Amino acid sequence: MLIIPDEIQEQIRAHGVESYPYEGCGLLLGTAVNGTNTVSAIRPTQNVWPVEAEKPTRFRIDEREWAAVEMEAMRQGLDVVGVFHSHPDSPPAASPRDLAWAAFPGYSYLITEIRQGAPHDGRSWQLLPDRSGFVEEEVKIEDS
Amino acid sequence: MTTIRIPTPLRPYSGGQSNIQVSGDTVGAALTDLTSQHPDLRQHLFEGDKLRSFVNVFLNEEDVRYLDGAETAVSDNDTLMIIPSIAGG
Repeated sequence: MLIIPDEIQEQIRAHGVESYPYEGCGLLLGTAVNGTNTVSAIRPTQNVWPVEAEKPTRFRIDEREWAAVEMEAMRQGLDVVGVFHSHPDSPPAASPRDLAWAAFPGYSYLITEIRQGAPHDGRSWQLLPDRSGFVEEEVKIEDS
Repeated sequence: MTTIRIPTPLRPYSGGQSNIQVSGDTVGAALTDLTSQHPDLRQHLFEGDKLRSFVNVFLNEEDVRYLDGAETAVSDNDTLMIIPSIAGG
């Protein structure tokens, strides 16, 4: 399960809108306990996919940026618990490309659809332990 | 000893620890000690003898691929971080 305060959900949606028509991305910070990832902050990152024309359907997170966020999270007693990205004008389902370039099972992969520049549905996914696919996880939005 | 920061999803394989003290004078030796202490981590970090393609190792925020790779020297106050590559669409 992924738990997100509504205020942070709004930040994620706003980042997707700002990034439109490109995919926006970033890291979810918080705590991970018994399979539940609870988000308390986000760090938007650059979409460093190398081909500009493909950014409406591709994203990549810079590992150096991730390392800096990981260091910052460590100092604050937080952890990176997942990744968020947006799907401009496309449903928030994990794509074959998301699967091909995923990392460790256990992270939440939150996807938000941005339709015609406005935020729509968000759904979150977890990589199966054998890395063969994604399974949807429940998203609980809490009052801030 | 060098500290290795374990990514959140891998902590079930490191006894729940987020930071692990390892011995070794190089990045490669430090990773070997890590997987000796916690053998279940190996399958998540390595494919055969090589790090998995999406696994990057940073020494104090520097990617070791741009230093001396596995031969990069480490010392007592260093922190190694395991940072995944993530992309998608």
